[in-house]
Amino acid sequence: MAANSNSPRGKGAATRLVEVSRIEAGFFPFALILPAVILILLVVGFPLLYSLYVSFTPYELLKPNSLNFTTARALRNYQKLLNDEVFWRSLLNTIVFLAVTVNLSYLLSLALSQLLSRVTVGQSVLRTLLMVPMMFAPILVGMQFRWFFNANLGLVNNFLISVGLIQEQGQIAWLVDVPLGMITIIIASIWMNIPVMTIILLAGTLSLPSETFEAAEVDGASGWQKFRFITFPLLAPFSYIALTIMSLDIARAFDIVRIMTDGGPARRTEMLWTYITRLAIEDTKFGLGSAMSWITVFLSVAFTLYFFRQLVKARIVR
Amino acid sequence: MLRKLFLMLLMLALVSAFAVSAQDEAQYAGLDMDLSGINIKMANIGGGQYEVMYDAISVFEEATGATVEIVALLDGFSMDQKLKVDFATGAADYDVAWDHTSFVAQYTPFLLPLQDYFSEDELAPFSPAILDAATIDGNLYLIPRHADISPIHYRKDLYEDEAIAAAYMDATGEELTVPTNLEQIDRQARFFVENGHSTLGYTLAGKEEALTGRFYEMHFASGGSLFDENYEPAFNDEIGVAVAELLASWYADGIIPSDTTSLLWDGVAQYFCNNDVAIKLEWYGWYAYFQDADSCAVAGNFGLARGFTGLSVGGDAVRPSGWAGAHAFSVPATAPNPQAGVQLIKFLSSERVAYEEALLGFLPTRSDVWDRVIADASDAENPLDRERLELARIQVGEDFKTPPLIAEWIPFSNIFYPHLQAVILGDASAQEGLDAAAEETREMMADAGYY
Repeated sequence: MAANSNSPRGKGAATRLVEVSRIEAGFFPFALILPAVILILLVVGFPLLYSLYVSFTPYELLKPNSLNFTTARALRNYQKLLNDEVFWRSLLNTIVFLAVTVNLSYLLSLALSQLLSRVTVGQSVLRTLLMVPMMFAPILVGMQFRWFFNANLGLVNNFLISVGLIQEQGQIAWLVDVPLGMITIIIASIWMNIPVMTIILLAGTLSLPSETFEAAEVDGASGWQKFRFITFPLLAPFSYIALTIMSLDIARAFDIVRIMTDGGPARRTEMLWTYITRLAIEDTKFGLGSAMSWITVFLSVAFTLYFFRQLVKARIVR
Repeated sequence: MLRKLFLMLLMLALVSAFAVSAQDEAQYAGLDMDLSGINIKMANIGGGQYEVMYDAISVFEEATGATVEIVALLDGFSMDQKLKVDFATGAADYDVAWDHTSFVAQYTPFLLPLQDYFSEDELAPFSPAILDAATIDGNLYLIPRHADISPIHYRKDLYEDEAIAAAYMDATGEELTVPTNLEQIDRQARFFVENGHSTLGYTLAGKEEALTGRFYEMHFASGGSLFDENYEPAFNDEIGVAVAELLASWYADGIIPSDTTSLLWDGVAQYFCNNDVAIKLEWYGWYAYFQDADSCAVAGNFGLARGFTGLSVGGDAVRPSGWAGAHAFSVPATAPNPQAGVQLIKFLSSERVAYEEALLGFLPTRSDVWDRVIADASDAENPLDRERLELARIQVGEDFKTPPLIAEWIPFSNIFYPHLQAVILGDASAQEGLDAAAEETREMMADAGYY
């Protein structure tokens, strides 16, 4: 006989059933994502923790016995890096590169997105053309710009010679001179990154409410005023998303720098990632390279947190 | 009857001639073992002319029954990085690996010593200098494939023009002859540029190990040594400073290209190919490229001479330059089929395969192959073809000088070359730059346990 749910015994059983189902319901979603969580822990979490461990050891790739943690020298890699002039120089170069590239990319993308949003004929063709740089692997972009700026055979110098702006003996060493080396890398990075940023900002622009602009027009606002006081503030969430994505992407710029200047000459364009590769792989100092990677991870996290705070603020204002 | 006798004699003569010619042909080696069912994996250098050799592998497969799987074809520096990572992670599951005399010292704990796998007779044809460079702590770790060393390349038109020679005599008081030492190169290079005879006086690769090696060579030729007997840095001595100052002055005065510090071998070769450079030290391996009239303006207009001796600051210690190296084969200690790997190396370094590779322009490492290619070149249309080989044989035999055979060579180079670049570009004085490099090198060597 089935338990009567109205009886005290039946009520108790029903309550237990509800509790069990609540527990099951609470556990079930977690059970569903558990495989993914385990996979992420294995693929991302374990290597991250392992590299953190390695960063506290003097590990060198070709000396297996050096993977040995001792309290006495646990912080030596970090101390060494903090006293390493090249590390600070590569950090400074990375910050300059990042700040200039991200900001210039943003300004150009903002301008392009506003122009594109007003195009009524052939917009899809223009958008497709805009996407072209995204189709190139960074390594190819680096090779292409290295050729453009090659002192001997490059397109730029040959053009300048042909129009008489420079003499053949006075070829400009674009990839060598200060600040030209950094500028050429920045130009290549901007060329590659503008499409993504423009697409995000264009999507944002097209999603803005038309009523606000109509009201502004009724009030007699000029084009610049509409952009300055309506478009730009309302685009803020999109801007922060675009800036965050691009900052992280550009901060990892490795291929372009590696191909164009490889951090040189004389460390003039050395970035964090070229220096890490030199230390960890070429010099086989994996412990030191891991420590440097972790310092850059902390810097990247701090940078991202800052942008997300700004994003949240912008959403509240909106 | 007479006719029969004549035919028999004719046949006998033909058979004898065939036998002699077969004996005279370069022979393969390493085909005398049944390796049926074994899959030999090989990680090797790739690109352009390097891969032509691998076509011969089908002969090895057919004769031994083994299959050969090429698991990597990368350029030299990428191979170096792959080997380091694979050795570190225990992933070097191949039986034959590309190697180089400049890199081998860092891999030795992960390589199989090969002296027990090769008889004295098998090693006898190889250049003793290269085998020395391949032997560390009494163990032979690599078998040479081909070598390279640099002679002076000079533009012949500059040395054959009487008006230029007379002007040079007026300007310097000495005859214009092909230079034999660095000071002559300096004077001539400046003269050619300052008087508009050549866009550039000299070129050299200006970054990475290529720059470190070129400095090492100039310093060595001037009587210097990068390290003293205790592995203390010694390159910041008077000789090192003189060499660095020479490079910096060449850069400042436009004797070398404005983008020198971003040039590697191909970029340097391109300047010479364009007929823009008067004199340079260059690897023999570029010879075919420079002689290709379709690609290079300098084709037919250059000569070769033995590497220079150094600056007179070195006094009696000056000697011919000779930074050299050899591509080679090794067997990883973790190779699944080491004996099969050794057999494949015997085949790839055999007289026949080495000869076929030498025909592409690579410098042989075997004396028997040297004899053959020099004999072949005796009928060459261009006498430089033979002169080149004779000169190269002398240089490989007498001037072959590897960088210090220490595992820290590449880390040292990564410390050193940015400082030398800073000196060349004028960011630091020669003494400041070399002292800074010496300090960092000392710290690195101390960490590595040298003192």
